Amino acid sequence: MSAVIEIEGLRKTFQSLRSGRRVAVDGFDLLVEAGQVHGFLGPNGSGKTTTLRALLGLVRADSGRMAVLGEPSPELLPRVAGQVGAIVESPQFFGNFSGYRTLRLLAHAGGVPVSRVDEVLDLVGLHDRGDERVKGYSLGMKQRLAVASALLKDPRLLILDEPANGLDPAGIREMRDLMRSLAANGVTVLVSSHILGEIQLICDHVTIISQGRRVATGRVDEVLAGHDRHEFLVRVAEPERAVELLHAAELTAVVDGGALVVSGVSDPTVVSRVLGEQGLWVGELTPLRPDLESVFLELTGAYEHPSVPRQVGDSSLPQGGAVIDLDRGVDA
Amino acid sequence: MNLVRAELERLSARRFVQLMVVLLVVAFAVTAATTLVGSHKPSVSELNSARGQAAEARRDLEANHQLCLARQNGDVVGDSDDFFPSDCSAIDPIRQDRLPIPADFLPGVFTFADQAEPLLYFLIAFLVLFGFLVGASYIGADLTSGGVVNLLLWRPRRTTVLAAKLGTLLGAVLVLSLLASVAYLATFWVIGQTAGLPGRLDGEFWSSLGAVHGRGLVLVLLASALGFAIATLGRHTSAALGALAAYAVVWELGARLVLEIVDAPNSDLFMLSSHIGAWLNGGARFYDEQICRGSTGLSCEGFYTMTWGVSLLVLLAITGGLTAAAFAVFRRRDLI
Ligand SMILES: Nc1ncnc2c1ncn2[C@@H]1O[C@H](COP(=O)(O)OP(=O)(O)OP(=O)(O)O)[C@@H](O)[C@H]1O
Ligand SMILES: [Mg+2]
Repeated sequence: MSAVIEIEGLRKTFQSLRSGRRVAVDGFDLLVEAGQVHGFLGPNGSGKTTTLRALLGLVRADSGRMAVLGEPSPELLPRVAGQVGAIVESPQFFGNFSGYRTLRLLAHAGGVPVSRVDEVLDLVGLHDRGDERVKGYSLGMKQRLAVASALLKDPRLLILDEPANGLDPAGIREMRDLMRSLAANGVTVLVSSHILGEIQLICDHVTIISQGRRVATGRVDEVLAGHDRHEFLVRVAEPERAVELLHAAELTAVVDGGALVVSGVSDPTVVSRVLGEQGLWVGELTPLRPDLESVFLELTGAYEHPSVPRQVGDSSLPQGGAVIDLDRGVDA
Repeated sequence: MNLVRAELERLSARRFVQLMVVLLVVAFAVTAATTLVGSHKPSVSELNSARGQAAEARRDLEANHQLCLARQNGDVVGDSDDFFPSDCSAIDPIRQDRLPIPADFLPGVFTFADQAEPLLYFLIAFLVLFGFLVGASYIGADLTSGGVVNLLLWRPRRTTVLAAKLGTLLGAVLVLSLLASVAYLATFWVIGQTAGLPGRLDGEFWSSLGAVHGRGLVLVLLASALGFAIATLGRHTSAALGALAAYAVVWELGARLVLEIVDAPNSDLFMLSSHIGAWLNGGARFYDEQICRGSTGLSCEGFYTMTWGVSLLVLLAITGGLTAAAFAVFRRRDLI
């Protein structure tokens, strides 16, 4: 498979008179291959938007190598710009232009046939409101217009920075369907979002960034599997007795509510056998698979002290600095 | 080409541009209307009387000159309290810039030949301001609103995008200025023909008016580029306005005062306003008493001149330098 986005060792420092130097991206790597729907996750201020801006030539990287569709970026980005649709952090449009006129302007600038404007307005559900002024659009409608502008070029690569920002539940679902159908047509998608359930539903690959560095990357199921503690939820009649029996069988178990959480289980039949032999019949035996949210919170250290309000930038790198890269194995 | 088309659409849709055009049309309509109301076609008797008065005024000048010469030669020992200069050539009618003409004695009659040039200066002043403000706000608004970023996602060539903006701006301002000035002069020409006097519209008149017009248009374009460049450098429309205000107060007023206090020679050379004047008028003369310090005799007049060529070079260098700097900075800057 060919690489559509390659980023190696990207570093970007912002200098400002008031707050001094701020390292936004700190040696970040990203690899997106053709046909992937790639989720890009990270806490607020972890450097997602900055990475995308650098990739698209809007900010100058301090160092690092980047390529889009095989062309080094930003030097030769113009060569492939016609095939890359992007929105970076809720784009602003001219308030007194209608949605249709906004897109027509971009179509002119990019040499896209104007007939495409109606198609994309239709695609994002703005067909009936395209003649209204952008000023009067709701947040979600502006976001839809932004997505429409990214789709205008009929791109091979779609880069979306928080496209679900401000969308209603139906809108989020439509966005999901849209991305799936685009992916089915061979469009590669890189999407950043804070709605992890959504990412888990639509993305096949994921990269997690924290404090400007990559902390995990790979296929979604493999990233999740890498964090599987092999826990099971067990319901039995006498939980306390069950715990003792399981401890005797060298399994870790705790009572949680009315049920048991047994961890370190490689084979669930062991649990039912141990308990069944002593006449404790298992009523429920459910594997507790990690979801993207728990993995995300664990990796970014964002949920260590739930009672203390967490500050932006408090997120951490995993202890020991091990980066899970399931494409390459774990490197220390 | 596509980019220019998009920019043109953007420029013409800007509220500020529309407002300024409306303002231009209103100012134009008011001037034309008041001129029309205050002017009438002179009757034959009015004309004759005006001709008579003009001829008499010219005769008076000549007589005065003769009297002055006579006194100088001692032919007349006058006790009149009339004032005569020590050098009679100063009031020699032949050496005057202009002599009384019938139009001077026709109150309430608009004479196109006399009024065209001042009217044109007024229009140029408006267009210079228009160009500067539109140039600054065009790029300033797009930089702050994220319009430029949007466009760069489509065409990631910064120089091309900025050049298309500047080119479109200059082209549009030029076309608008040409249309406005032609409509403006044509309207007043018609007023002169129908409700006033055309005056002497000879080749000399038209070529001098055309020269002022051409120089004025150059100035309008320079002002537009300057506003655009400063706003690009400062990322905001207000940067250009602030720079203009600061320049006017600090340099044109403050530094001029200081230069005068310390008796710096030829201080006008350092003022942009002098160069603008010199360029528009095809040269300028400035008085500086220091020139004559130390020299004896009457030959020293205390003036130094500024040629339009040098002034144009100064204006071009400043605008060109700032524009080049704007492009260089824009190429490298982080666009958020
Ligand atoms: N123009 C700027 N000047 C100074 N610092 C900046 C600038 N842009 C971003 N940063 C800093 O860089 C860091 C990364 O910001 P970035 O916008 O990339 O985060 P993000 O991952 O997109 O966050 P979010 O999820 O909130 O969108 C932050 O600490 C931010 O304060
Ligand atoms: Mg962001």
